[in-house]
Amino acid sequence: MATTTITGYTDKVSVAPGGEITFHISVENAESAHVEIVRLIHGDEHPDGPGFIEEVIASSISGDHPVSKQFVDVGNAVVIDDPAERLALTGPMTLHAYIYPTTPAKGRQVILGRFSLTETAGYALGINGEGRLTFWVGDGSDTDEITSPVPLMHHTWYFVSASYDPRSGKALLHQEAVVGPYNGRLGKVAPFDHRSSVEQKLRIKPKSATTPFMWAAAANAAPIRGAYKDFVYNGKIDRSGVFDRALTLDEMKAVHAGQQLSPGPLAFWDTAEGYGPEGIDDVVRDTTASGLNGRGVQRPVRAMTGYNWSGKHDDWRVAPEEYGAIAFHDDAVVDCEWEPTVVWTVPEGTRSGAYAARVTIGDVEDHITFFIRPVRATAPILYLMPTNSYLAYANEMIVHHVPVGQAILAHPAVLTEAEADYFQDPRFGRSTYDHHSDGAGVCFASWKRPILNMRPKWRSSAIGTTWQFPRDLSLIAWLESQGYDYDVATDHDLSEQGIDLLKQYSVVLTGSHPEYWHEAGLNDLEDYLAEGGRLMYLGGNGFYWVISYRDGEPELMEVRKGEAGMRAWQSEPGEYYHQTSAERGGIWRNRARPPQKLTGVGFTTQGFDECHPYVRMPDSYHKSVAWIFDGVEGEVFGDFGLALGGAAGLETERYDLELGTPPHTKLLASSTSWSDNYAGVVEDILFNHPGTLGTQSPTVRADMTYFTTAHNGGVFSTGSIAWMSALPCFKYTNNVSQIMKNVLDAFSKPGTLPGGAWDQEEKSWT
Amino acid sequence: MSKQPLIGRRSWRPSWPVSTDKVLKRRRYFGTKRSVLRLSGSYNPKTLQRELVLTDKKPTFWLLGLLLILILPIAASNERFFALFGIICIYAAINVMWTLIIGTAGLQSFATLATVGVGAYGAAYLSITYGVPWPAMLVIGLMLGALMGFLISLPARRLDGLYYALLTLGLSEFCRNFVTQSDQLGGKFNGALFGVDRIVPSDMMTTWLGQALLYVSAFALLLAALAVFRWVNGGRLGLLLRTSATNKEDEAFASAIGINIQRARTWVFIVASAALGAIGAFYAAYIGGTSLQVFSIDLLLLMLAMIVIGGLGRAEGAVLGTIIVVGITQWFTEWGPWRIVLVGVLALLSVLYTRNGIFGLKVQLSEIRQRRQALHRAALTSRYAAFLPQQAPDILDKSIIVGRTFERELRDRLKGWITPALIEEHRKKPLGQHSDHLERILNYFRQGPIPDKYAVYCEEPFQSYRVVALSGMPGVPPRVVDDKVYPSLDEAYHAVFLRRVNDLRTS
Repeated sequence: MATTTITGYTDKVSVAPGGEITFHISVENAESAHVEIVRLIHGDEHPDGPGFIEEVIASSISGDHPVSKQFVDVGNAVVIDDPAERLALTGPMTLHAYIYPTTPAKGRQVILGRFSLTETAGYALGINGEGRLTFWVGDGSDTDEITSPVPLMHHTWYFVSASYDPRSGKALLHQEAVVGPYNGRLGKVAPFDHRSSVEQKLRIKPKSATTPFMWAAAANAAPIRGAYKDFVYNGKIDRSGVFDRALTLDEMKAVHAGQQLSPGPLAFWDTAEGYGPEGIDDVVRDTTASGLNGRGVQRPVRAMTGYNWSGKHDDWRVAPEEYGAIAFHDDAVVDCEWEPTVVWTVPEGTRSGAYAARVTIGDVEDHITFFIRPVRATAPILYLMPTNSYLAYANEMIVHHVPVGQAILAHPAVLTEAEADYFQDPRFGRSTYDHHSDGAGVCFASWKRPILNMRPKWRSSAIGTTWQFPRDLSLIAWLESQGYDYDVATDHDLSEQGIDLLKQYSVVLTGSHPEYWHEAGLNDLEDYLAEGGRLMYLGGNGFYWVISYRDGEPELMEVRKGEAGMRAWQSEPGEYYHQTSAERGGIWRNRARPPQKLTGVGFTTQGFDECHPYVRMPDSYHKSVAWIFDGVEGEVFGDFGLALGGAAGLETERYDLELGTPPHTKLLASSTSWSDNYAGVVEDILFNHPGTLGTQSPTVRADMTYFTTAHNGGVFSTGSIAWMSALPCFKYTNNVSQIMKNVLDAFSKPGTLPGGAWDQEEKSWT
Repeated sequence: MSKQPLIGRRSWRPSWPVSTDKVLKRRRYFGTKRSVLRLSGSYNPKTLQRELVLTDKKPTFWLLGLLLILILPIAASNERFFALFGIICIYAAINVMWTLIIGTAGLQSFATLATVGVGAYGAAYLSITYGVPWPAMLVIGLMLGALMGFLISLPARRLDGLYYALLTLGLSEFCRNFVTQSDQLGGKFNGALFGVDRIVPSDMMTTWLGQALLYVSAFALLLAALAVFRWVNGGRLGLLLRTSATNKEDEAFASAIGINIQRARTWVFIVASAALGAIGAFYAAYIGGTSLQVFSIDLLLLMLAMIVIGGLGRAEGAVLGTIIVVGITQWFTEWGPWRIVLVGVLALLSVLYTRNGIFGLKVQLSEIRQRRQALHRAALTSRYAAFLPQQAPDILDKSIIVGRTFERELRDRLKGWITPALIEEHRKKPLGQHSDHLERILNYFRQGPIPDKYAVYCEEPFQSYRVVALSGMPGVPPRVVDDKVYPSLDEAYHAVFLRRVNDLRTS
């Protein structure tokens, strides 16, 4: 029986009242779907909490809308802009490229060419089903090919070239490896001889394909679906070119040697052209008079080490000519490019918050999440939802790919139907915690695709609890339950509006796991706090990874995971610098900005077997901070929660003067004595040794801190992801909630903070 | 413990060192895309040196075999040799076409000789009556064969297996009776027709040249038959039919993906029958007449024996089987009826002990070797940590070997720690810090490879969970391992634990 499925995404992360938001929806096996706009209040369905809560909003788009199935054109390519059809070659021709195939054995792949599978026409240089370099021509009904006698080796640079003269029928295919001490997986001591030159007559003359010249893909098409890319290549491509004559073997070798031939090429793409001080765009530039520039689709990765990487530089900005490689992946998706289904103009006066288009067909339902920000502040409290970090985790599937995953997470994966289905066909791309099909880490994450874990009821298969967005809804439910007036904005709004967004508020609340920050956002938050702003940092492992966006593309985020940090993958040597911002990626701590400098605490451990209560530390009885614990009985608090039964746990932080915790910081509470599943973070470990795990390491803990900043500013940090999931317990009446209330009440009022009077030298007689 | 013999073999395979400085000029057969020799470059896994390996040895063997068949009688220059090999070529041509019908099209037709006979009688009659020359006889045979093929293929649409075989067998008998009772077709002379235009005139047949020419014409017939076989079996029709060849499900699959099997079969049948008709006409022109022998059941059975001995479905099987059977029956005439007994015994042995005749033996023997090897190694394995030395050459990633060795020791240690108390400890508290032994056992379980790794499947949050096993392969969903449903996550975690403990114990 056919099953109805619904999914979709919005064109932007957040919208202000008065603005428009577009929903791109795909439905299988139905023609019409019912759409309502809902405000999301609580997501976690744990029986100890209030359950799922949404509020239907009267909207102009409420009702039934026609829907259809939409497809995704998965995979990277470069499409050459060739309006004069100069590359529609049917006469003599030569293609040449530097390539670094990563999965030559996966099946047919195109490197360069203008080939249409539906038309069986065109020409292409690529890799055949046996992993051999191949040049194909198609005459409209049949194809012929010339194939290298020896398979290509993966993770090895090659100069490859094919020439063909239809008049004589003679084709020449040449390959030779470029092996240096740095540029490939193997060095010179592995005695491979990769050279081969082969000549053969082809039996057919090419007919021109009507599809464009592409790098890394052939054109295909199917009924209903339309045109799409096929034979997508995995690996890197560096400098490449096309001649409209058939080069001899000596001429090919001259091209490899960098000599200028006369007559020159029809197109020569210098992939290192156009690198700027602010980053690299998606244009691949033809440096000949033909001007046949190309544009990368689904964001191929640039600033990759090239065939000529000397190993002397680890930064493309210093030696761009050694960084001409572009990496292509057959499963890359940064924009599904679906047709819009519904457009909603958000009415003036709509309150800010987390929203969703609830799409239903019978009992099948999906929530397509987005955020509404205020036009200007309507309250003293701002909840800054960490949308950068939501993107980083978008469609994360660790448990299916990482063998040690269950050991990291301390229990068997807990799958849902949606995840099991998605795993069968991960057509909406992966997260920055996953790998591409060739093993390379995923460094781009985009909003413009369905994101399964941006659904309010989603539970992470990795740990069986909520994660990120669904957990962060618990704070909204708590704010609602306590009757606070507050606004909601996102990382994306901070990036758009800068410090002006923050300055409108007395206090800023974070999400449970604001892990990914771009430099401007970090600067704005730091400046805001230094100028008297107040921060309630209600999470763990925050302010950790460097990310960047290209100007004007806020939906597409870049992450390069460096040589430290708790990381799912690591950039290849020399590839740590972002292409969208020309800055070094990795953890902020390794760029001299440990989170402790901003919030007093920084990432110290993670574990997923149990969460724990906090115990008050002596500092918490000091008159300057004791007000935080007004109404809290006993030493212990937070021994409950929707996340594994405690407020302290999952990923947690510690106070550390050496990492920049302000010296006047008060250590209010701490949670210790954890299991061995809580391991010390790798950036703390120089020599690994027995004793870095929870039962033996003193750094395995969660610290709650408080310090004041100039101009009546202050920072309260809970240092734990699980904190937020403790708020809804016991109908929001509990000691975690009480502490939150005490701090938020104080922080949301302008003027001096409580406890400020006790600032003199201590003289205690007891 | 006995001394481990050293491993490492040097067996010959056709390969050549490569000069990578030179351009490899790959030649193709005229007008085709096939290269002359299918040489494939590779890296020698032991030395990483480049070499050229003959990947497809079949064309070379064919070439040598056919050359031998061509040259042997000419070299012998003996009338008996010419006659024997001439008959071998003609029968082999018939068998190759029959193979196309039984093997490629998968039709159990016994009307092969009937078709040959119709071609022979038709062409002979027209040649005798109207003086049609032999080249035109071939065309007539071709047309008659095609017509026969079309007619015989009609019932194949409705009749299956045995019934179709019986029907086609009956057809031969019908043809024989028809000839016997027909005056024009030599019914008076017990079906013998004489005076047909010969390929080589009778007077030349006494000379060496005449005999050689006649033989070469028979050889050319065999080549033509092989060409037809290659064209049909190796072409689109063969490809379509191979998709649906093995069983009924495959047929359903083939029709589901849009292959019209019935039509493909009919086409193969018509083409093969046309060729058979032409062979019949050739035969008439070859011996200058025809006789009822072509419709006889005993010849049909003899030919069936040829195919069975050589190996059904292969052209090379049809040719070799023909050489063996015709060789026995025609050369050792002094053995009398024992020849037939010998052929019968050979066919019986072939059916009983080989899976697909002589040419199926290679696969069969290598399977027997593998099975013996596996048994032998299984008996020896307990002496070695994980792998036998002789298994090492097949394992490219040597870390697998040491990893398995480590794992074996680890598992032995962990197994000793499993007690009812330890299982109870886990049941009470599946997550969190446990005793040292339980922690180490759990870590071993959790670090295991993804394929078949257990996980929990949530049917209804906080209400019903199941145990599943991950596939480890993108695109393949987890599989549910049993029908048990657990009301809480902790119970599901413990169910996973129990399964893993069981797997560890029984490993």
